[in-house]
Amino acid sequence: MSEISNLILSIADNKQLLGLRYAEWATRAPSLEADIAAAAMGLDDLGHSRVLYGCLEPLGDDPRGQDRESDPASLCALPYLDEPWDSWSQFVAANAILDTAFTVMIEACVNGSIEVLQHRLRKMLAEERYHFLHGRSWLRSGIEKAPLEEAWREAIAWFGPSDGDTAKLHKSGALSLGPIELRARLEEQLETKAPKIGVDWTTWDPRRRRTRPGAIDEATFAMLRGLEEKRFAPASAQKQA
Amino acid sequence: MTDNVKYKRVSGEAVEYEVFARKTRLEPLHQVGSVVAPDDDLAAAYARATYDEERWVEMTIVRKDHVIALWSPGEP
Repeated sequence: MSEISNLILSIADNKQLLGLRYAEWATRAPSLEADIAAAAMGLDDLGHSRVLYGCLEPLGDDPRGQDRESDPASLCALPYLDEPWDSWSQFVAANAILDTAFTVMIEACVNGSIEVLQHRLRKMLAEERYHFLHGRSWLRSGIEKAPLEEAWREAIAWFGPSDGDTAKLHKSGALSLGPIELRARLEEQLETKAPKIGVDWTTWDPRRRRTRPGAIDEATFAMLRGLEEKRFAPASAQKQA
Repeated sequence: MTDNVKYKRVSGEAVEYEVFARKTRLEPLHQVGSVVAPDDDLAAAYARATYDEERWVEMTIVRKDHVIALWSPGEP
């Protein structure tokens, strides 16, 4: 499978899961405005994931296999998104660090040499500006340390090792930034340095771009496959299906 | 820290912002609503999330306490 297709699938899967996790907070955020923002950002990211999945075909190499229907571990999303979040701090850390990390990677695609990505992903950057403003403002208000460090660790791991696929894609011109530059850009955007954290690259899965095994929770996986919707469908519709 | 942490985002230091928008270049900006936020960044994010249902060509926000009223209803 081509490295760029794998990377685009990873951005798409992460954005799909991020959108769903945002949406889960649409009635639990600390203010009505934050509720609405959570819902709107969720819709944005779900929309972005659809655009990204749509790029796989023109890239000529769709890495999605049949196992995506049966195995939640086939999805290429980060461990941070495996389970619903319990605290607003987790939401903010994902919003500020992970969402911005995905945007920085999209920026590198838009400024890279692959035409379909240059054209199709550009609009996302304008929409992501508001996610960034939201996340950075909440981050400045102060959040718990644990989710913040976890988000930083996963973002840096997601960028990939210094000699991995992202570095190769940067060298070939497909990406305008490599892993070191991506991290620097993320720090620049957030006007802060990443905490001193180490990534154990020996456990890094290059396909899923994560260092820990695991998968999304069963309920979310069932919802993605449409099983939850079928459960509530009238009996007549179930027979037709 | 737990779920019970009180996030003071809407009371206390938060302020009100008026939201203005227009659908075409020919029409003037008009007020479409307001949001409450503790800073300009969050107010921009909230305004866009709350009032982006229509196809505006322009949207802008103004801190309500920066608006200078010349006169108000009921005043001479």
